[in-house]
Amino acid sequence: MQRDERPRRTKKFGHERGRVALLLLAPSVIHLVWWIGIPVVATFALAFTDYDILAGTVTFNGLDNFQEIFSDSTWNASIWHTVVFTFFTVPVAMAIAVVLALLLNVKMRGSAWYRTAVFMPHVTATVAIALVWMWMFEPRLGVVNTMLGWVGIDGPVWLADPDWALTAVIVVSIWKGIGIKMLIYLAALQAMPNDVYEAAKIDGASQVRQFFSITLPLLKPATFFVLVVSIIDSFQAFDQLYVLTPDGGPGNSTTVMTYEIYRTAFKEFNMGAACAQSVVLFAFLLVLMLISRRLTGKEDDVR
Amino acid sequence: MRPRTSPLSRRRLLGLGAAAAAGAALSACGGPAPRKEGGGDASLRLLTPIFDRADGQKLLTSLLADFKKDHPGVTVQVDYTEYGKLNEKLATSIVGGQPYDVMLMGVGWIPPFVEKGVLADLGTSQSELDRLYNPRVVQPGIYEGRTYARPILLDTRIGIYRKDILAEAGIDAPPKDLTELKEMGKELTVREGGKLTRAGVDILSNDLRQTYLPLMWAHGADLFADGKPVFDSAEAVDALQWMVDVIRTEKIEDYGFTQKGAVVAPLVQGRAAMMVGHNDMWRQVSESAPELIAEDKIAGFMLNQQRPALFQGGTLATLSAKTRYPEQAKALVEFLSGEKVSPQAAEQRGNIPAVLSAADSDYVRNNKLVSFAVDNLDHAFSEGGVPTWLEIREEFKPALESALLGKSSPADALRGLAEKAEAIIAKGA
Repeated sequence: MQRDERPRRTKKFGHERGRVALLLLAPSVIHLVWWIGIPVVATFALAFTDYDILAGTVTFNGLDNFQEIFSDSTWNASIWHTVVFTFFTVPVAMAIAVVLALLLNVKMRGSAWYRTAVFMPHVTATVAIALVWMWMFEPRLGVVNTMLGWVGIDGPVWLADPDWALTAVIVVSIWKGIGIKMLIYLAALQAMPNDVYEAAKIDGASQVRQFFSITLPLLKPATFFVLVVSIIDSFQAFDQLYVLTPDGGPGNSTTVMTYEIYRTAFKEFNMGAACAQSVVLFAFLLVLMLISRRLTGKEDDVR
Repeated sequence: MRPRTSPLSRRRLLGLGAAAAAGAALSACGGPAPRKEGGGDASLRLLTPIFDRADGQKLLTSLLADFKKDHPGVTVQVDYTEYGKLNEKLATSIVGGQPYDVMLMGVGWIPPFVEKGVLADLGTSQSELDRLYNPRVVQPGIYEGRTYARPILLDTRIGIYRKDILAEAGIDAPPKDLTELKEMGKELTVREGGKLTRAGVDILSNDLRQTYLPLMWAHGADLFADGKPVFDSAEAVDALQWMVDVIRTEKIEDYGFTQKGAVVAPLVQGRAAMMVGHNDMWRQVSESAPELIAEDKIAGFMLNQQRPALFQGGTLATLSAKTRYPEQAKALVEFLSGEKVSPQAAEQRGNIPAVLSAADSDYVRNNKLVSFAVDNLDHAFSEGGVPTWLEIREEFKPALESALLGKSSPADALRGLAEKAEAIIAKGA
């Protein structure tokens, strides 16, 4: 009898487990479908329509929105600004983060405080940071121009000068993004095997040689991760740009893709074109992700 | 004996889940079920861009307490915002299926929202409104012969100058036209070692479009004719050329010397002698440098060239076409645009009351920029005129900036702007 009952119990147990799994997964699946799946599908669909958000009418218009946005000089400029913004914020911030991580990896008194200080901008509200930097960039009384004045430099009107506004925003973005990058590098540094370094020392490798021949290669996985996440962050940057340089900055000099999408959607009520712009942004990120994935894959193969 | 506990069965769990979902769905619907028109009780949602500061919120709270005395069954839930974010608030509320019952919006906004079916006809005749309000701000609430909005307050953009700075230079009267304004601006501009320390005329502290438009009207140009853009006319180009001359040719002000939204305007600090500014500058002066008012150092002047012109905007109260409580919402619209609220709403913003009964109030008489604007409303022009104005106006700033930054000529900038406007109008037709 017992032998006969055993398989039935196992089957029932497995069945129950499946139900429990479904039940536990359900909230996440519903959340994913409702908040991500449907909006993404809707965005793609609406990109090919003339969607009047106030009247609630949707008319299929083929590729008109894409033609419209790519003949718009502001949108094309926003793509260029996004690329420039990403080019300067990602590699520069990564280089600084590596240096900081190396410095903060050294055992010293108060290192926890230093690490906290570097990480602090990441956990501070971007709007608050932007407001503080606005005061710092104030042309007459701000800290930045005051300090430049000490060395005889007449600082520009940072946020209102079309030649300098994007630079100012890039500086703030680098400063804000360094903390998390530093933390990832620090974790990678602390996971490195000591025996490799000991062997290198025995072989007479200098500190510089150790850094370039051991540390940097071992940091590659962390570098790829930071690179991908940073590129996505930079392409999606909005809040600091919006607060520091409202209306896309002087002469649209800081208009990036996210801001232009926002302006097209909510200032011009042109939702179809805004969806088309979102699709283009998505395509940019997808291509960058595929490139990075390919690079990461090669790295896995080597290992 | 331990009491017997019943385990949480699947059926019970599903039942609880269903109950929770039903509860959430009911609460998401928000408020009671739709009522018949004329019912006494109502929960109204109000969106306002003019009571957003702390003092404004306090004022509106006390005013709504008065409203509740006359309408005890009506509660008003207020959403405070600012003009810069009004568009997205309106759009998201409408697309989210929870439109506001009463919405305050600006001059030029009514045609676009009526065309989209967002606003309800208030059923009030123009002659009735003309008896109560300044006629200048009644018209923007009327579209195709029907009244969709009632005015609360007016605001203007005018010339403002520092009497003391002009007097130091031996000038005893403000400029009589824009040519003289530029000449005086050159004379009053101060540079130390090449660095601008005082702008003769500040044309950057105010919203760029709202600075350009009165200059354009003063040059004799218009925005639209027969529903088509004409703001690339020779007169309009002259107006933009005037601004370009101030910045690039005559160096009366440097681009970036100040910007819209600066905490204290250069005129107040003595870093500008004259400006094209908002009449609420009086409020800023009274808070930041009250001695300038006490010593009679601030006054307004008319922007004049081919004709005198000032920019006139305003805030109007509208009724949502989708409100579930049309009678109560209409009562709130009338209250907010009535003789009790209008003067106080205007005063907390440093603006002009829309109701005629307050035209000679102490507040208006004591605020010299407001009284100057009231005295010259015959020369007022308002923006808008086509149902796609909200889209078109977004294109002005980049076009004007491209000319001021020397990236394009005034003629090319305005031609490009007019082409964009034509495309927007064609798309919206």
